Amino acid sequence: MNTVLFSKELKRNRKNTLIWTSIVLAFTLMILSIYPSFSHMGEDMVKLMSSLPEEFAKAFGMDEATWSSIIGFYATYYGIYVTLLMGIYTASTGATIIGKEERDGTAEFLLTRPISRGIVAGTKLAVLGALFIIIYLAQTLVAVIGMNLFGSEIAWDAMAAMHVHGFFLIAFFTAAGVLMGSFLSVKLNYMGPIVGMIFGSYFLNAIASATESVEWLAYLSPYHYLPLTLDQGALEPNLVACGAFAVLTALMVWVGYSRYLKRDILG
Amino acid sequence: MNIIETHSLSKFYGKERGITDVTISVKQGEVFGFIGPNGAGKSTTIRTLLGLLAPNSGEAMLFGQSILENGHELRRRIGYLPSEVDYYAEMTSRELLEYHANLYGLENGGEKIRELAHYFELNLDRPISDLSFGDKKKCAIIQTVVHEPELLILDEPTSGLDPLMQNRFFELLESRNSKGTTIFFSSHILSEIQRLCDRAAIIRGGEITAVEDITTLLAKQMKKVRLVLASDTKLELPEGAQNQQWLGNKVLFDYVGPTKDLLQWLGRQEVVDLTLSEPDLESIFMNYYRR
Repeated sequence: MNTVLFSKELKRNRKNTLIWTSIVLAFTLMILSIYPSFSHMGEDMVKLMSSLPEEFAKAFGMDEATWSSIIGFYATYYGIYVTLLMGIYTASTGATIIGKEERDGTAEFLLTRPISRGIVAGTKLAVLGALFIIIYLAQTLVAVIGMNLFGSEIAWDAMAAMHVHGFFLIAFFTAAGVLMGSFLSVKLNYMGPIVGMIFGSYFLNAIASATESVEWLAYLSPYHYLPLTLDQGALEPNLVACGAFAVLTALMVWVGYSRYLKRDILG
Repeated sequence: MNIIETHSLSKFYGKERGITDVTISVKQGEVFGFIGPNGAGKSTTIRTLLGLLAPNSGEAMLFGQSILENGHELRRRIGYLPSEVDYYAEMTSRELLEYHANLYGLENGGEKIRELAHYFELNLDRPISDLSFGDKKKCAIIQTVVHEPELLILDEPTSGLDPLMQNRFFELLESRNSKGTTIFFSSHILSEIQRLCDRAAIIRGGEITAVEDITTLLAKQMKKVRLVLASDTKLELPEGAQNQQWLGNKVLFDYVGPTKDLLQWLGRQEVVDLTLSEPDLESIFMNYYRR
């Protein structure tokens, strides 16, 4: 890793990271802060829930526990919004962090300095890892603080499992972004394909959960293997899936890295 | 010792031709011109030399080593000036040049940058996005020479520079060359090559058409001659004149041959006005390097 390049890349991504992290943190706090209002409605919410179509509730991972505990309430939004937001940010950064130099015409500058292409790619991937860790840890920390501020009797085990699954899910999407960036043209706007990939994954699982006839669709979604919603207020970490996704993530990053080493820099 | 050596270097972009069988060698301390029209393959050759492009066949050696195997170490000894200058728009020139110096691990980079910026009259504190093309080029020149490389690879280096800055740049190159720096100078402007280079390779359609000493190249060079004569009597033009066009007492022709002979012939005529100009490269190729 090259420390000069590492610090410059961190600085270069500072503004974007700050914006996305702020959005995710504000959203996390907002979700948790409105929970007390919902919990006071207690039975009214349960009644309202029972009036919703069962498929709808299943699709979004809602059950009675959703309204009776802060962790249940948080889980619904964590799955739908928080991981999607974090995934979109890290995957789009993963898709562009290396190719951006080619798109902006600065690759010719960087790759004619005395640094090997492997070090350039490795350093940029290390920066991507650092940005991922920053947003992930900040969100987890704010969620823990928010839980303590706005909830009581928190099922920390379920929350830990949810965040471990969230970690591997977001890492998987990030690596998919890196892979996408190494295969597609650097001039492409990656935001569309990335939002499509992440939302698509989420809704495949949601549709499969709601409709028995297309249950098999869930197997195509990483959300199926690494669930973020609670089942009757509980969630156990799926360590086998975590391991499998860690291997897949590493593999995708490796393929992306290897392709970059052999790519012609056209300027 | 050859500082640059390529053997049958070929590069294709899919089915499209980049360069074919490019074989050149540049000796230590030499100023080597690389001349050809736009799209001839000059930049492709340079990018392949620098390891930005992987050749389809052949090999490129710098300082006797393969650029593909030891690229990062070899690039420490090279200063590269690209034809198109694209930098990080959010940086100032100072930040960019300090970043460059840090990547090279230069100890007194700041001082050298200030000296060169003063020499080229570049304001270091303006954002790169606000710089004119000429100022970006000055910034590029500074990053090319500030680490005092043993080899300078310059791709169309003077585009965007005003004549005063071009002259300062040439003086800097001459000074560096006198201290032993090898220079690979790519251009489509023949007069630049004439001023600086010892030898030159001519590339056309991705192939090396000729490698010549500059004196030989000059002897073969065509000149465009425009004369205004005292009378409108049609003269017999000197040997080597071709493509003549008469318009009253004015005559326009291309001349190929010793300059001395042309001057002697002119001395015998009653010339009111004379213009000698450099032909475009394509004309030179069409006349002398047709295969």
